[in-house]
Amino acid sequence: MTSLQATQQQMLQAVLAESAQIPPIIRGSDLTDARSRLEIYRHGYRVRLRDALQAEFSGLRSMAGARFEVMLDKYISAHPSEHYNIRWYGAGLAAFLDYARPWRDQPQFGDMARLDWAISVAFDAADETSASAADLASVPPDAWPRLQLSLLRNLHVLDCRCNVDAFRRAADHGHPRPRLRRLAPARQILVWRKETTVHYRRLDDTEWQVLSAALRGETLAGLCECLAARHDGAAAMAHMVTLLQGWLSAGLIHGWTFA
Amino acid sequence: MAMQSAERSDALPYLGYGLGLRVEHYEALRAQPSGVDWLEIVSENYMVQGGLPLTWLDRFRERFPLVMHGVSMSIGSTDPLDDDYLARLVTLARRIEPAWVSDHLCWTGVQGVNLHDLMPLPYTEEALDHVVARVQQVQDRLKRRILLENVSSYVSYADSQLTEWEFLAEVAGRADCMILLDINNVHVSAKNHGFSALDYLHGIPVSRVQQFHLAGYEQGERLIIDTHDAPVSNAVWDLYTEAVRRFGRVSTMIERDDHFPPLAELKAELEHARMLAEPLLRDAA
Repeated sequence: MTSLQATQQQMLQAVLAESAQIPPIIRGSDLTDARSRLEIYRHGYRVRLRDALQAEFSGLRSMAGARFEVMLDKYISAHPSEHYNIRWYGAGLAAFLDYARPWRDQPQFGDMARLDWAISVAFDAADETSASAADLASVPPDAWPRLQLSLLRNLHVLDCRCNVDAFRRAADHGHPRPRLRRLAPARQILVWRKETTVHYRRLDDTEWQVLSAALRGETLAGLCECLAARHDGAAAMAHMVTLLQGWLSAGLIHGWTFA
Repeated sequence: MAMQSAERSDALPYLGYGLGLRVEHYEALRAQPSGVDWLEIVSENYMVQGGLPLTWLDRFRERFPLVMHGVSMSIGSTDPLDDDYLARLVTLARRIEPAWVSDHLCWTGVQGVNLHDLMPLPYTEEALDHVVARVQQVQDRLKRRILLENVSSYVSYADSQLTEWEFLAEVAGRADCMILLDINNVHVSAKNHGFSALDYLHGIPVSRVQQFHLAGYEQGERLIIDTHDAPVSNAVWDLYTEAVRRFGRVSTMIERDDHFPPLAELKAELEHARMLAEPLLRDAA
């Protein structure tokens, strides 16, 4: 190990550690001692990470209230930052809340962290174009059964055990927060970006079944079969048209291929 | 192969008086761009794949000359340079064609852990060799000279053999890179370590200085804390006039990182910089 490596490793450990240990490599002065000097870096490290998390997790902050600071401090102590860009530091927060006590017994926290993070990731994901209804109308009718939809790559589907979507929407708009309640079974929340605006909404069970089939690459005929298990033929087709119109309007469909 | 050394400080353009581009001022700056000659972006904020950040950036690129200023290169770390970081930096530079690219003379992490802070280096021959080799590596990758900025610091190391300004000047000379001189940081470190800010300025080669930063700080109990969240102090304005006398016409900007005032206040500070510098520059001409 070189001298420079040793210096940096000692300094790193000194900043991360909350102990009183001061490495001898640091010089004090008449103005102030080495401990006070080091303390500025220790304090700054935690403040920067906390600020970064606060910026990314607005829903979680609203939900946790006074407990938010403790939650972040525990995460910071458990997870040194490994990415060069502090913007990605929150990537592990939802998983942390899923397994760390006491939050693992309160799934609304992990769910909200997952929703906040998905919104953040969608915000600056790669730009994608969306197909229009007119584009889809140009597909010859005899090709429709073989049509395979290409959905946006920046689309995320989250399994949520609580009504965190309703809570975050109310918090974002300054409305009274709904009471948090468990959803049994878990429900899916769709997160995506249309142009520069991020959207999210809960999927009903039928839409989720059809959307997940589309994500697997099922043809339009296959998607209609999914719906046929729930409706008679004409109603299934009408429901499929309604879903397609909604997806086109939301900008979820990037394009299509043919099987 | 490293770029050939040459004293070519005139190779980069003079941009005038600029501001750091911050989200808080997007709308105001688009509506009232006058008085701002150029913008400095924080590179990492735009090292993303799409969405609103790049949409805004493209708008400002149409109106202003831009320079890129990074905080994560970690040029002094003993960890390998991050290839993903450099690839994204190159991609962003290709997109916006900045007048130049800068980062800090520091390390930000080691052993795969990032402190997200501008940690000072020990000013040793070993560190000098290490940093020079890495600057050359980065410049080869970017195919351009970079600028390195002096950081504010609160600790110094027992094994330092050089002064900070000797170290900075040696890095710039040996690696053939340019210097972004943060006047506030010179003042902060001078007070915190008890050296003369004027000695610092006079130890920096004139031909290497391409840009000035001006910013504000917070007076702590014993030390000055570099917050970049306050107006430029009188002491820093005084040091700026000394810097203008020594270095001449250098692209200058106000860098505010927190507690953002209305854009008009930053423009007024920028105008103050112009009022201080221009008479001195005219007299010197």
